Amino acid sequence: MSAQDSAAPPSPYDQESGVFTTEHRSVGDAVKEFFGRRTTPVQPIAYTHKVHLANGLQCVFCHAGVDQGPDARIPGVSVCMTCHQAIATDKPEIKKLAQYKANGQDVPWQRVYGFQPSAHVKFNHAPHIRAGVDCAKCHGDLHTMTVAERKVDHTMGFCIECHRQNNASVDCVTCHY
Amino acid sequence: MQRRDFIKITAASGAVAALEGCGNPDHQLIRFVPEEELLPGIAAWKPSICTLCPAGCGTLVRVMQGEAEVVRNGQLGLLKMGLAKKIEGNPAHPINQGKLCPRGQAALQVTYHPDRIRTPLQRTGQRGSGQFKEITWDEAIKQLVGQLSPLLAAKQPGQFAIVTSPLKGQRRTVVSNFAAAFKASPIEFEFFDNAAVKAANQQSFGIAALPTADLAHSNYVISFGADFLGTWNAPVAQSIGYGEMRKGRAGQRGKFVQFESRVSQTGANADEWIACPLGAEGAVALSIAHVIVNEKLRPVLAGLDLADYVPEKIEKQFGVKAATITKIAREAAANSPAVALIGDAATAQTNGLFNARAVNALNASLGSVGKPGGVSFAPAATGRSAQSKEGSSLQSAGSAKVALLFNANPVFATPSASGAGDALGKIPFIASFGSFIDETSAVADLILPDHSPLESWLDDSPESGSTRTVVSLAPPAMAPLHNTRSMPDVLLDVAQQLGGDVAKALPWKTYDEAVKASFGQLYKEKGNKSTKDADEFWSNAQTQGGWWSADEKPATVTAKATGPLKYAEPQFDGNADQFPFHFLPFASQMFYDGSLAHLPWMQEAPDPTSSVMWGTWVEINTRTAEKLGVKMGDTVEVASQHGKLQAPALVTPAIAPDVIAMPIGQGHTNYTRYATGRGANPISILAPMTVEGTGSLAWAATRVKISRVGEGKIVMFGASMEELPAETKHR
Repeated sequence: MSAQDSAAPPSPYDQESGVFTTEHRSVGDAVKEFFGRRTTPVQPIAYTHKVHLANGLQCVFCHAGVDQGPDARIPGVSVCMTCHQAIATDKPEIKKLAQYKANGQDVPWQRVYGFQPSAHVKFNHAPHIRAGVDCAKCHGDLHTMTVAERKVDHTMGFCIECHRQNNASVDCVTCHY
Repeated sequence: MQRRDFIKITAASGAVAALEGCGNPDHQLIRFVPEEELLPGIAAWKPSICTLCPAGCGTLVRVMQGEAEVVRNGQLGLLKMGLAKKIEGNPAHPINQGKLCPRGQAALQVTYHPDRIRTPLQRTGQRGSGQFKEITWDEAIKQLVGQLSPLLAAKQPGQFAIVTSPLKGQRRTVVSNFAAAFKASPIEFEFFDNAAVKAANQQSFGIAALPTADLAHSNYVISFGADFLGTWNAPVAQSIGYGEMRKGRAGQRGKFVQFESRVSQTGANADEWIACPLGAEGAVALSIAHVIVNEKLRPVLAGLDLADYVPEKIEKQFGVKAATITKIAREAAANSPAVALIGDAATAQTNGLFNARAVNALNASLGSVGKPGGVSFAPAATGRSAQSKEGSSLQSAGSAKVALLFNANPVFATPSASGAGDALGKIPFIASFGSFIDETSAVADLILPDHSPLESWLDDSPESGSTRTVVSLAPPAMAPLHNTRSMPDVLLDVAQQLGGDVAKALPWKTYDEAVKASFGQLYKEKGNKSTKDADEFWSNAQTQGGWWSADEKPATVTAKATGPLKYAEPQFDGNADQFPFHFLPFASQMFYDGSLAHLPWMQEAPDPTSSVMWGTWVEINTRTAEKLGVKMGDTVEVASQHGKLQAPALVTPAIAPDVIAMPIGQGHTNYTRYATGRGANPISILAPMTVEGTGSLAWAATRVKISRVGEGKIVMFGASMEELPAETKHR
């Protein structure tokens, strides 16, 4: 804003958010992407997929929208707190979660999978779910993981192989458009 | 570190490897809890209304989940929210039928503009110094209430003023009811006010509104100065009709003739472009009518005395060839229905009202008033009354103790000589609802930033562009990004706090309640059997983008006998010997009246005829330029009796030798990072001439002189300065 008075208190609008861009969180991130290297995500909360799945939760309960559109939802603090209002409130990780909620903040989950923009891949979850592809096929067996890890490498070869096996189109423009 | 710094560093040192080691600050990042649950990756198209010009096109906004950097509770962070990504025309909307002009497309940038005012501001420095501090809404409203309550108690007229852009829908009701409690009426300020056209229609047809030309069914279009494909009236609706006229009917192509003194974007499309001196448009129109009546080419109208307008006499007086006038009259009469339009510079003359009435008479003699392929009026337009500017001019705001400003920038858009800026400066307390600091709101004491149009409840009833009743409606397409509030909501809140008569006049808690009430009324008057009740009518209108009647006929109009049309000589400011050129400012396709110069998409879009971008230019006829020794791109000085400015010359044969033209829009002294200090403002050197009978500014009635200053620079699309000599050869 050009209209700043030197005597006026600093405006929150002039703070640095610490975000390099909304696409690339840090300079390192951007550089790594440029060179095709991937960061190992460090999640703010050691969320355990293992425990939740063992308790009978389905993937789509938290990752809603996966059967309806291109992206699956990454659950926010409100989704977590529907149960954790009451369940396991004494655990340190749940306390962290409750703290986010109390601060009016969302959990800054980090992305695990995803194609780089330079790959020009337009992936859409919904048709894969409709075709009955198991989540584990691309995301590994989450029953054995705490936070999600990149167990499966989403190379073009990996996609094509599966498309061939299932008689899905291997036309370039199926994914690259 | 900012993006720009990063690019600089990597470019300068190649320090890529070092940067790779930078830590990931994701954990320090604040993410706010989203207020709405959206499915990622799935787009919704929501109806909205374009507010960037008065035409009122219906739009569809593509909204998708995205991440925005916003401030909430004094903290900066990321918020997942539905964000508007693209604006297109609404195919169901009768005005623009799914089409949209470049200005409407760029409306997106209003919302995401980096210089938007994001929180209420209070002035701390001198007026105009641009020094403000951020305050809360509670403080801001308390201040405004504190200023207004003594005025409410005093109840003296002239102490309160509210200057707005022309308002429609419930915004007008809220603002006028609010003002009425202070014994004031809103001052609607607009540079291109078309007051002469409206006043002429009031006199000729009894309807004080802009006409809707049925171009689609016309076979012959004669336009006097109206840039109806670019900016005048409802350009999108008119462009659609024009396209239909040209090639929508198999084997039938309508003809289009344009009379003007500079080839406008519209004029460039004409089959026949005829040079017509400024101010002579009315006489030429009546001369065409004279031929039609004299040769009995169409059923003769009673009471039309045109003896003064014999083509030969017009040729001698204005240089428009009698043979051309006769030919056009015969062609137009033979190719019925034919229609004549007038606008822009032809009505911004001291004799603008005469010119507009003359064109109405021409339409009457062509038999195209209220007929298909002619001029009609929307049924709702019949309720409007002509507003005389004289009673509610900006100068009358000068005596006010408190003034409110909304979407109007009179300091930029009135000639310096008219003293509007000084008048504003004398007002003790000014509050602005602007989203941006501009020349006018820079003097404000308090800024109460409005939501962007995409974040607001909108309603509109377009005056022209369709002959059906159209009432547009749009709920907010997205949640507000910043700490802003909708202008009518603030007024309603202030009214409640003031209590008494104001609160009674504005019984609604929020603006959407007010709009809903108006739709309840509309349902009672016009609702048909297909909707169950007012609630269904209201929700249907929200999904559709408004309500429009399916089978309504245009308002019935007949040409009223208005007595003899006596030629009114146009008056020009400045002596012809000292100031040999007519000065013709024109509406910029990109910036309209200058209010859109803050949008970078508009700045970088090349002008359709000259291809100039990011600047202003002065159009000079090739021969005139030769005489003055001016070359393409040279800096020239244009001076009137009231001021002077400098800009690069654009040498072109597409302008009369005695006319100097300049686009309006640039030359802002204070209007965001994109517009400030760029180009020159032609309005600043205009003479405060007025249109006789309406009192509005005659902005094409100033004479100027011109001189070469030195070499300069003009930025054109696809032509660098090196290529220009070759290009000038072709011209």
